[in-house]
Amino acid sequence: MFSGLSELIGSFPHALAAGLLIGLTCSLLGVFVILQRVVFIGITLSEVAALGIALAMTLHAPPVLGAAVLTLSVVILLALPLEFMRLPRDAILGLIFVVASSLAVLVVAGSGLALHEIKTLLYGDLILTSPTDLAVMVAVLLPVAAVLLIFLRPILYTFLDRKASRVLGIKVLRWELLYFCCLGLAVSAASQAAGALLVFCYLVVPAAAGLLCSRRLGLAMACSALVAILGTLAGLVYSLRADLPANQTIVVAVTILFVLIAATRAVAWLFGRERP
Amino acid sequence: MSTVSLITCRGLQVAYGREMVLRGVDLEVVKGSFLPLVGPNGAGKTTLLMAILGLVKPSAGTVETPFARRPPGYVPQQGVIDPLFPVPASQIVAMGLYPHLGWWKKLGKQDRRAVSGVLAMLGMDGQGSKTFAQLSGGMRQKTLIARALVARPEVLILDEPTAGLDEESQQEIMAHLVAINRQQGCTIVMAHHGESLLADAAPLVCQMEHGRVRLREPSHV
Repeated sequence: MFSGLSELIGSFPHALAAGLLIGLTCSLLGVFVILQRVVFIGITLSEVAALGIALAMTLHAPPVLGAAVLTLSVVILLALPLEFMRLPRDAILGLIFVVASSLAVLVVAGSGLALHEIKTLLYGDLILTSPTDLAVMVAVLLPVAAVLLIFLRPILYTFLDRKASRVLGIKVLRWELLYFCCLGLAVSAASQAAGALLVFCYLVVPAAAGLLCSRRLGLAMACSALVAILGTLAGLVYSLRADLPANQTIVVAVTILFVLIAATRAVAWLFGRERP
Repeated sequence: MSTVSLITCRGLQVAYGREMVLRGVDLEVVKGSFLPLVGPNGAGKTTLLMAILGLVKPSAGTVETPFARRPPGYVPQQGVIDPLFPVPASQIVAMGLYPHLGWWKKLGKQDRRAVSGVLAMLGMDGQGSKTFAQLSGGMRQKTLIARALVARPEVLILDEPTAGLDEESQQEIMAHLVAINRQQGCTIVMAHHGESLLADAAPLVCQMEHGRVRLREPSHV
């Protein structure tokens, strides 16, 4: 493992840094994605970001800009009071997901890009992270993680009990919008390198593992980040050794960690050491 | 008892779309009083509480409260907090101190003492570290009452605090509310379904029907 790690640091330092950064930020944000039961927003925003990247590349604009504009537009749309539509938010997310996925494919199909470029664009490849990509990620993801941790208390209270928060003078719309803008920005910055699948994985799987590990929010977030970091390291090292696609290998590694944690919890529960 | 009005509703009307839920409510809640709002489902009890709290906008009429100066304690209906949240009862109670915390919103020693004090007062010694999922229905409701009380509010507003609880828990919670009202002088406005527990608690109840109110003595069931 250690020789593989030093080989990875030597050969793909940017991929390693990008994977750790994306994993860390998305796994922290992902705890609230799960707690709010809006898991579908993860994959929807990833697809919207892919569409934004595709549009930006066809228009010769910076990809992250295209992704950010589209994801933030969707986030703001979802924050609007849509009750008049008498549809659950999941249905609206589903609609946006199918439109974004189809349009992304149609835009790249008409762009004249080569097949491998299209594949990279739609599914991402962490190994191809350039120093510029990494700089963009550092500029976006670190502030996003910092904002989430600094304003954790009002964000938690907003999601925990909206009405009571309003009574206490907490500006729930402001904190909700801040959280979802952070989520949109993180997905935008991560999508080109990580692709929709890995971003979705980072948002859901480590957070689920973290919530299995602890009944304390802070500790659950720390465990979530740890699972993302360990999964990224193991996935990247193994993908390099076995010559496998990096993103998908990381997904498998993170999922294996989740399964191990879930199995440990199940055993503890079976032997009566923990309440369900 | 003082006769200072803390909450005054005049000609209060609230509509959801075309449906008029409150039809000109005139109500005064005097400082130190215990006022249960009773009535059937759909009578407008929760809507009246929401209008008093400023959470729904009146379509006509006015509501005067001291809440801009000092937020009230608010206890929502059961089931508002998702037990999935990995948050201990003490942290839920600490939420009530939010308006009084500094810019970084960190809890100080005094705040922690206030949290454990209010939990102890409600008979929840040693329960503060349990998450909402680990607490019984009665304990969950007491946690929400503790959250509403921790900042020592002038007014406590409760939306059916005993709904869905067994009789013993209902009586226990009602006894706590009566004690809070009589010993601390906290004004209580509470939406409530039945009247069996109210006879000794409040001299008057506010009967709600079809969006209108009428004060009367509680019936001795």
